[in-house]
Amino acid sequence: MSPSKVYTSLLDTVFDVRDKMTVLISGVNSGSMPFGLINALKECKAKGLTLVYSVDAGGQGEAYTAIDSLVDLGMVSRVISPMPFVVGEDSVVRKAWESGDIEIDIQPMGILSERLRSGGAGLGGVFLPTSLGTRFEESKEKRVIEGQEYVLEHPLKADFALIKAQKSDTLGNLTYRGFGRNWGPVMAMASSVCIAEVDEICELGALDPEKVITQGIFVNRIVQAES
Amino acid sequence: MALNKLTVNEIVGRTLREFHSGQTIALGSGMPGQLAVLSDPAAGFQFISENGVNGYISGSDGTDDFGLLNSTDGKVLGCPGSSVVSIEELAAMLRGGHVDFAVVEPSQIDMNGSFTHWTTDKSNGIFAPGAALDLSHGCKRTIAVMPHQNAQGHSNVVQKCDGMVDGVSSVNMIITDIAVLTVSDDGLRLDEVAPGWGVDDVRAITAAPLMINENVKEITFGLFAEAIKSKVCESGLDAVQDIVDGAAVMIDGFAGPGGMAHYLLVALRDHGAKKLTIISNTAGIARVVNFGTPPGRLAIDHSILIENNQVRKAIASYPVSPSASRPSAFEVAYKQGDVELELVPQGTLAERLRAGGAGIGAFYTPTGAGTRIGEGKDSKIIDGKEFLLETGIRADYALIRGYKADTLGNVIYKGTSRNFNSVMAPAANITIVEVDEIVEPGELDPESIVTPGIYVSRVVKRPDEFSGYE
Repeated sequence: MSPSKVYTSLLDTVFDVRDKMTVLISGVNSGSMPFGLINALKECKAKGLTLVYSVDAGGQGEAYTAIDSLVDLGMVSRVISPMPFVVGEDSVVRKAWESGDIEIDIQPMGILSERLRSGGAGLGGVFLPTSLGTRFEESKEKRVIEGQEYVLEHPLKADFALIKAQKSDTLGNLTYRGFGRNWGPVMAMASSVCIAEVDEICELGALDPEKVITQGIFVNRIVQAES
Repeated sequence: MALNKLTVNEIVGRTLREFHSGQTIALGSGMPGQLAVLSDPAAGFQFISENGVNGYISGSDGTDDFGLLNSTDGKVLGCPGSSVVSIEELAAMLRGGHVDFAVVEPSQIDMNGSFTHWTTDKSNGIFAPGAALDLSHGCKRTIAVMPHQNAQGHSNVVQKCDGMVDGVSSVNMIITDIAVLTVSDDGLRLDEVAPGWGVDDVRAITAAPLMINENVKEITFGLFAEAIKSKVCESGLDAVQDIVDGAAVMIDGFAGPGGMAHYLLVALRDHGAKKLTIISNTAGIARVVNFGTPPGRLAIDHSILIENNQVRKAIASYPVSPSASRPSAFEVAYKQGDVELELVPQGTLAERLRAGGAGIGAFYTPTGAGTRIGEGKDSKIIDGKEFLLETGIRADYALIRGYKADTLGNVIYKGTSRNFNSVMAPAANITIVEVDEIVEPGELDPESIVTPGIYVSRVVKRPDEFSGYE
């Protein structure tokens, strides 16, 4: 019998996140981030992490937003994001970047998501038109394909993904709700170890196979979200 | 007397007049989000959120159907026929040319329609593009909504943007708080002015040359009432009647009868278009391999087109029968020199189709490197491993076999019949879906929709009495 993917402790799920690893964090707003896992990550004391995320947001009752709190603990050396902090507002990420404590690698949303898919799907890179003529095409390889110019974007893979889903069965098959889907499916694919924080863990067979969005093959650890 | 500028609601009201029922409109962050707040749900517009919901409206006191706030932090209410996608799928949808309109809010725009997005404005301290670049590639039309002047009273409409741009010549129309401008090959044309404003008033505070429309109008607001257009066709023949000789047609199906649009295949045979290129996993083997065919009958597959001399070329992964004594129609035609073949490994075929639908020009894959598949192809060593360069595939038509669809073309499948269907649907100019049952918008769970209607042009019901065998 293979070891179960179901963990009972949030802390246990992130015990092996080590210094200098790359961690993907799903979510597009305060309703869709894996706050339980992010709080657990704060306890694991890893340093020099690269965090990949869409936007930074805060959980209920938290003084800091999620990414701000990790940066504030000195755990982060680099972030990759289409929107590293809320524009125009003060944030720990912004201050750390302005004082040179962290690097920021800005990636447009569709390029970042396709680079993750490319990494997750075993591809060696994709030619996208998105960055042509913008600051994001600089120093990248270009190629004309059937008369149209494209830019080579490299695959992006990570050591861990922390994602939030609605339901999981014990094999890690996941469903989401609404905007909660966002980066979960592609981050699950692109990580060596994908940890899913879910609202409900159900028995095998309880999820309709037609409605599973992320297949258990991409998910390594499952933990119940604290209510 | 100072002239009044339009309010945000009025800019939005004018913008809504550009859309027709059933059209898909991707909304950027900032002011564009207000379109989904102020639109009448009955108008039938399908707004696309940059967070992954197609077909929604939002309002501060609406029911929150998707549990989570959207990018403008309003509550989100799904319209009948809405669907949910993930971020990489949403980006593919935009880049792949499937969306009718993008609406963006630039902080500065120039006479070529190139713009700087408000979130990358240098005054914000960082260039945070979010989805701004994704909204600038692939949509059929792009509308910029923005104040005409910035807080310092400088024109936001300029000859050339100050810094790097986020969209390159992508905007077709600019709607500001004083004017409506069209971006043409020759520059900006002033078409409409806010109530009370004259052409010279607009020109005086615009830092770019303006051509003036002969019939400059006053901006008006409010929706046109239109019935939502159904995608349902009366019959298979209706659905395929514009397929011309020489067209490229994707036909799903793995090997056996599952997932194959038999009714549409028969319609295409009856229609008779010739010199077709067919793109599929097999080139039709269900007719010669018994996957449960009732005695005395023949399975319907691609072979019926080949036997009818309608096929010139196949792009396929498995174009032969597994039995030498029972060759498929394609094998026979190939050996006679009547058809051409482009052989593509199964996974590469699926990925090339995805690329075609997702606006990806080409990709590097390790599959086939070092085999005959790699002969004559560009290859590259990446991290010590050889990868082949493979290009995207698109087609004129896709014949898709779904289980259920609504009248807006949202599709669900049953079991393994999903196979190539869901990846082919985005990769064709006209995607035709054959289903067992057609339902009204709202009857399919938005979370369960596999192929959003945005990818589908036509839906036809497979008649109850129709058999996949003849």
